[in-house]
Amino acid sequence: MFPETSRCLKAAAPVFSQTGFSMCLRRLQPHGGGSSLQARRHLAVSGCLTAKVSSPRKPRIRVEIPGLEMVTYSDRMHYMQHLTKPVFPRWERDYKDPRHYHSPPMQEMPLYKEKPCYIFTQRTSALEGVRQALWLTKSKLIPRLPPQLLSLAERCNSEFPNQDERVKNTIEHARFWDTTQERPGKLKYSNTLLSNLLHLCATLQSSHPALGRRIFNEKYSLAAPWKRGDDLFQVRGQNGLLLSSMDPLPEISGKQEVSETANNLLETFYPVSPTICLQKVHIYKEDENCTGFTSDYPYRHPHTLFFLEKDDVKWTLRPDQFRTKMIMFAFGNALAYARTLDASPRVLDHPITIQSVGTNGRFFQFLVFQLNTTDLSGDDGIKNQVWLEEDLELYDYAKVRPLIKKKQVKVPAGLAGYKPETFSKFLALYLHGVL
Amino acid sequence: MAAHARLPLRFPKNLLLIRNHKLVHTDAAAKEPAYPPIVPSLTAKSKSAILRKAQEQIQKINAAPIQEKIGLITRVQREKFVVYPQTYARNPDRWYQHFTKTAYIPGLPEKFSMGSGEAAEQESPPTFAVPGIENDAFADIRSMVNRLILQEHQMTKKRKLFLYREQELVMGPFLRNLVKGLTYSLGKYNPLLLLSSLDLSPSVHYYWRRGQRTIPKGHRKGHLEPSRFQIDDRPHSQIRINKQLPQFTPMEASYDAEVPEVKYAPNLMPLFRRQYINHIFTGSKVSDPACYGHTQFHLVPDRYHRNRIARLKQSDQVELFLRANGLASLFAWTGAQATYQGFWNHHDVTRPFVSQAVITDGQFFSFFCYQLNTLALSVETDANNPRKNLLWGTESFRLYESVQDSQVVGLNDDVIKLLVQFLLNQP
Repeated sequence: MFPETSRCLKAAAPVFSQTGFSMCLRRLQPHGGGSSLQARRHLAVSGCLTAKVSSPRKPRIRVEIPGLEMVTYSDRMHYMQHLTKPVFPRWERDYKDPRHYHSPPMQEMPLYKEKPCYIFTQRTSALEGVRQALWLTKSKLIPRLPPQLLSLAERCNSEFPNQDERVKNTIEHARFWDTTQERPGKLKYSNTLLSNLLHLCATLQSSHPALGRRIFNEKYSLAAPWKRGDDLFQVRGQNGLLLSSMDPLPEISGKQEVSETANNLLETFYPVSPTICLQKVHIYKEDENCTGFTSDYPYRHPHTLFFLEKDDVKWTLRPDQFRTKMIMFAFGNALAYARTLDASPRVLDHPITIQSVGTNGRFFQFLVFQLNTTDLSGDDGIKNQVWLEEDLELYDYAKVRPLIKKKQVKVPAGLAGYKPETFSKFLALYLHGVL
Repeated sequence: MAAHARLPLRFPKNLLLIRNHKLVHTDAAAKEPAYPPIVPSLTAKSKSAILRKAQEQIQKINAAPIQEKIGLITRVQREKFVVYPQTYARNPDRWYQHFTKTAYIPGLPEKFSMGSGEAAEQESPPTFAVPGIENDAFADIRSMVNRLILQEHQMTKKRKLFLYREQELVMGPFLRNLVKGLTYSLGKYNPLLLLSSLDLSPSVHYYWRRGQRTIPKGHRKGHLEPSRFQIDDRPHSQIRINKQLPQFTPMEASYDAEVPEVKYAPNLMPLFRRQYINHIFTGSKVSDPACYGHTQFHLVPDRYHRNRIARLKQSDQVELFLRANGLASLFAWTGAQATYQGFWNHHDVTRPFVSQAVITDGQFFSFFCYQLNTLALSVETDANNPRKNLLWGTESFRLYESVQDSQVVGLNDDVIKLLVQFLLNQP
């Protein structure tokens, strides 16, 4: 951030306290304020923030000449100008105090490995987007939902008695009625909309009792490792809301289509490396595979993952990167589950299907991932399959006050442009496996 | 100039008789007032003018549509006592009963049968006798609850738990899944639940006046001022429906109930005053069709967990804390529901508003039912008001003893039965 800007800000806001002001400066910095030298924590109550910050002192290099005895002032117990500073052995506490703990350097940690591992987390923003996810997961992309789900969506048009009205009520509740303020913020309404839609779909349990064999889970820790060429990759972290079921999802594409994917060429994006933007770590456990649940968990089959674009306040992903995250975590969940069945990398006899829904409150992305093989080291062979439908609007406008341009109402207040097809697809993904 | 005309002396005395003849035929007709009613002035500097202004305001509020009515009731901001449903104060239930004119009745209404102790003695094979659902459905629900407890405690691999966040990170998701699981499995038997709205972590607010005090200091010293209260509650989850639940007892039955009276000022509880926007909110705005409440679920936070309270050697306060929590939350919710229907302090409810609550810390469950019979709580409206609000409540029951070796030990069926009965409540 420029010093002129901070000086202007300082002139304009004299009522801010110094600590508040330094926090503001930190927030305004790009990249969330990494290690910038210009505005550090400044807890003094006087003095200006924009003085030139001197560079950190370079420590004096101590030269060790073997055989030469150093004459120090340690015996004299006080500083002497012509004698050298003594070096004392490092003192370690004999008990462990968590408030005064310095972690050892990276090379001395027990889990250190020379070879790096590239980790995809919930905050990773992949540069190449969906192409990178397809390369990493060795998948083929089909840009629409599979035909079974499309036909199921057409049948789901009339599952509820007043389906359109009820869905519109849920949208209006999420967008207008959920707060004492004039309108709820984006983070709140996207959360509420997703939970309201899920509540609406789940009330179908009275007519489809098999829906009772499902459960929701949040905040479970996932870990799924795999090898791609020479590099090690892992998907780690808490991803989103998982709907898991006691029964597996049926396969989408049969053996014929799966074998045809072997002819598909993976798209590379040279000179950009596929490991770009992934977190590179040297300290990791190899082959740490964890679905997030113990082995005797009754709901062992992951069914659908739900992602929210505005989940993390500090980190927003662009739409392409958001879709990448959906693909990677769907793949991670499927892979972790496949490896619990059989840890060796091979082509699966029964492919594992997992679905994924991402939303930002208005746009929905639907994804179906079929894991056909866990043998991901080479670029050829059978590939996994991804059906992705992006940017489906649920409604056009949800305005609290009408949009008026030149004394004409362009968009009326309230919900406008509701599209029932998107909800039918959402419901189809939810009911897939039951109907 | 006097407008009265003097009767001339030469008028015949029998004129009155003639007049009377005429009046005999027109007596039956109503006398229309020739002049408008004599009322105190609106703008004079007098006590009657102040009274008349207050009455005009009340009539204006009564005649307004609902959204404007709420706006007019909550328009003026003054310092008010902020009542926290979950509070560290000692004996909070008596204070809250006094503030909300609620009588506490131990136990639940006759609708909800408590415990199957007697039934088990009579029938040799124990049957799950819950009116309204079959045994198979209850067995399914029971196994689902079993799985949920194991899931949260053992089977999910979470990050290391932070200090004082166990309730939020373990019991919160468990309660959410429990509520969802019960609601969807019981939807077949209670069609209201199929049309309901499930809110996760909603806000509920209510603002009212009760009692008065003499202002001790300042330019208004010596004047009488009504005490204002505000509840801002955040239940863990709640179910809202579009039809009203039926009453537990008729309103007249509450006339004999006893409401404890606390002679001390509210700030001694301790209760603190603040001034901010007065909110009245059920969890959703007025235009939502699901404007009536069914059940609220509350989670006891780590700060008020019974283990911590026992360490502070105040175990007797645990039940009182739960009771106060149920009372305040349900009063706020039912009061807001009644306000959304147009009732307020000067226009008392014509039908009782009923809601239920379950308060739990993950292992112990307490059940509360509330019937709002009166909203007229301020000094001028409460003078001749025999109605009282009613709270039924239970002590806390264990759902399970412990979780050992991937098994739930001591799962209590009575608690599950009560939960099922609560959710099956319908008109």
